[in-house]
Amino acid sequence: MLWLVLLLGLSKPPTAMRTVEIRGMEFHPAVLTVAVGDTVVWVNRDIVPHTATASGRVKAWDTTQLSQGQTGRYVARHKGTLRYRCTFHPTMHGTLIVR
Amino acid sequence: MSRSKHSLPLFAAALVFAAPLAAQNPPDLSDPEVAHVAVTANSIDIDAAKFAQTRTHNTAVKQFAATMITDHTAVNQQAAALATKLGVTPADNAVSQSLQADAKKAHTALESLHGAAFDRAYMDREIAYHQAVLDAIDKVLIPTTDNAELKQLLTNVRPAVAAHLDHAKQVRSQLGAAARTGK
Repeated sequence: MLWLVLLLGLSKPPTAMRTVEIRGMEFHPAVLTVAVGDTVVWVNRDIVPHTATASGRVKAWDTTQLSQGQTGRYVARHKGTLRYRCTFHPTMHGTLIVR
Repeated sequence: MSRSKHSLPLFAAALVFAAPLAAQNPPDLSDPEVAHVAVTANSIDIDAAKFAQTRTHNTAVKQFAATMITDHTAVNQQAAALATKLGVTPADNAVSQSLQADAKKAHTALESLHGAAFDRAYMDREIAYHQAVLDAIDKVLIPTTDNAELKQLLTNVRPAVAAHLDHAKQVRSQLGAAARTGK
């Protein structure tokens, strides 16, 4: 039994929950590096609504509108560098690096 | 400077009770008056954006206007909630009245414009307005506010106003290029 538990533990590396705070019209941190399988959570601390929306033709994710205090999440499934933005505020950009 | 001649000095002059004067002698506003100015400034921009949405056909201008409505509405809701919490009734004052009078003039000027001319004038106005509001926040509203929570609200709002200003400049620069190629 112990053997089985250990095996399962080894075959699936632990995944983490990583948070990006949206405050002062910026993503904090603006560049975040995570591992495949990690969950990224965006939490909006601003008064005004925001989104965290993957750039590009095929959007990997779109949190859609997050009002103050709301959260949106994305499970990083593929390696790569993904840029994202707030669709309401074109001055807001972030980068997610999945390793 | 590629601004249109359209009544910009008026906006700047009427709004900037703040900028040059405030450095030496900011208007002495009570907290209920500061709250009134904040709500008035937001409402003016919401009204301008609603009008722009009925007039513009430009996607970037439409999106900008939609963001102005969403953001300034959110700020006003927060301001109203704070005023209720603090038991403050926003009090009308000379600064609010000057803002309203100026907004009325701006609206009249914009009403006569259509198409690209409207888009440029609206965005010019938004640039001037947000710059003036930013100056007012820095030089009048935050310094004269006594209540810590009201001061914090103004501090929290400031980055949004700054981002709106940059957004407006971005949209305006697109319009400028389009206008030149169209001639």
